[in-house]
Amino acid sequence: MKVIKIGAVWCNGCLVMRPRWQAIEKELPWLKTEYYDFDQDKTAIERNKVESGTLPVFIFLDKTGQEIRRLNGEVEKDKLMAVINEHRDK
Amino acid sequence: MLKKLLVCLIGLMFLTMAVVPVLAQNHDWVEFFWAEGCPHCAKEKVFLTELKTKYPDLVIKSYEISQNLVNALLLQQRGRDLNADVSGVPFTIIGDEYVSGFRDNETTGKQIETRYIQVMSENAQVETPQPAGQLLNVPLLGAVNLASLSLPVLTFLIALMDGFNPCAMWTLLFLISLLLGMKDRKRMWLLGTVFIATSALVYFLFLAAWLNLFIFLGMVAWVRVGIGLVASAAGGMYLRDYYRDQSGCKVVGDEKRQKIFGKLRDITAKKQLLVALGGIMLLAVAVNLVELICSAGLPAVYTQVLSLSNLPRWQYDLYLIFYVLVFMLDDLFIFFTAMLTLKAVGIQSKYAKVSRLVGGILMIMIGVLLLFKPSWLMFG
Repeated sequence: MKVIKIGAVWCNGCLVMRPRWQAIEKELPWLKTEYYDFDQDKTAIERNKVESGTLPVFIFLDKTGQEIRRLNGEVEKDKLMAVINEHRDK
Repeated sequence: MLKKLLVCLIGLMFLTMAVVPVLAQNHDWVEFFWAEGCPHCAKEKVFLTELKTKYPDLVIKSYEISQNLVNALLLQQRGRDLNADVSGVPFTIIGDEYVSGFRDNETTGKQIETRYIQVMSENAQVETPQPAGQLLNVPLLGAVNLASLSLPVLTFLIALMDGFNPCAMWTLLFLISLLLGMKDRKRMWLLGTVFIATSALVYFLFLAAWLNLFIFLGMVAWVRVGIGLVASAAGGMYLRDYYRDQSGCKVVGDEKRQKIFGKLRDITAKKQLLVALGGIMLLAVAVNLVELICSAGLPAVYTQVLSLSNLPRWQYDLYLIFYVLVFMLDDLFIFFTAMLTLKAVGIQSKYAKVSRLVGGILMIMIGVLLLFKPSWLMFG
């Protein structure tokens, strides 16, 4: 599985999530993640349909690139781990 | 941790409100209620001025009631406390006794002076001059005078809640991201500090303008009623946001944001430091003026409460400075942490959530008091 993370440098919630994801990525080295900046990576933003709503956005994709789950805002590390573990083989 | 913080904040809030009735019953000074155009009041005013010359320690609290609704309400309250008829002025309270009307210096004047001397000698015999109801024993700190605590606590709570306002934060965060990319540490500190200091100054001037307006309009009842309604509505809004449990950043105003970011990039890239500093000051003024609307009336509510307290100008200014400092606490934390660790950090939304709950209840209580019991909000 792969996680697409979308945030912005001006977004407080995105900064709060940064160390949580760093800890997860350290714990799960197999997990693929990609980060896109809301203001700079316009193509990725349009492709993932996050032009409006709440940042940060976390999109969980399966092996074929299909979206499994989408989370917004500040999410606790335990909840992120639970989602990853639930879908880790997809 | 969150629960502890919640309990502390709610406890502080109720402490603030519990102090109010105690303050309203403090009669240690001479309270002089009078009306414009009343000849007996004018006579007593001259007498009290002479008495003040004779007894320099005498504190006269003067309340005009014909043009000031808050003062008139206070007189009604005093009438209920003393079980006295307050239909006429002048009305003078010395200690726990009152004198209604004023004939001349030899009769009523003598009565006031005798009672004042009596109160002073009674106070001198008491070991602790503070009324027992105003002292609170706090572990480690000892006895704390609640009368001097309530307005600072109220200031702290409202300013803290105002400071968690998310829409004022994004410009600073973007600026920090630009500053962290700089190699010149001195320039980085200077630009950030100037931005924060200018923002604080703009907010101080904004609060001072509100306060001056309320001091000027103090006698107009509909202003107080209007602000009472604003406070109640703001309280309701904060409680709604608390229950909605929103975290993260709403993506709005894309064009405006890009424009401001573009300007920030240009300013921080300026080679001449003075030009960059001037630019950052101008931008801080502009951004903060636009974002003032985000405050949901909190500065207006706070300055209305402050204006009721009848304080000297320097104390008003100190309270405004204290408000701005608390308001900027989260910005200062984010800025200093980023500058010292060279990493941008955020503040978890759960703290803002707690502030919305405490603030919501506090605003509704202030709103109700402004509408029905404004004298309870007079801390001076």
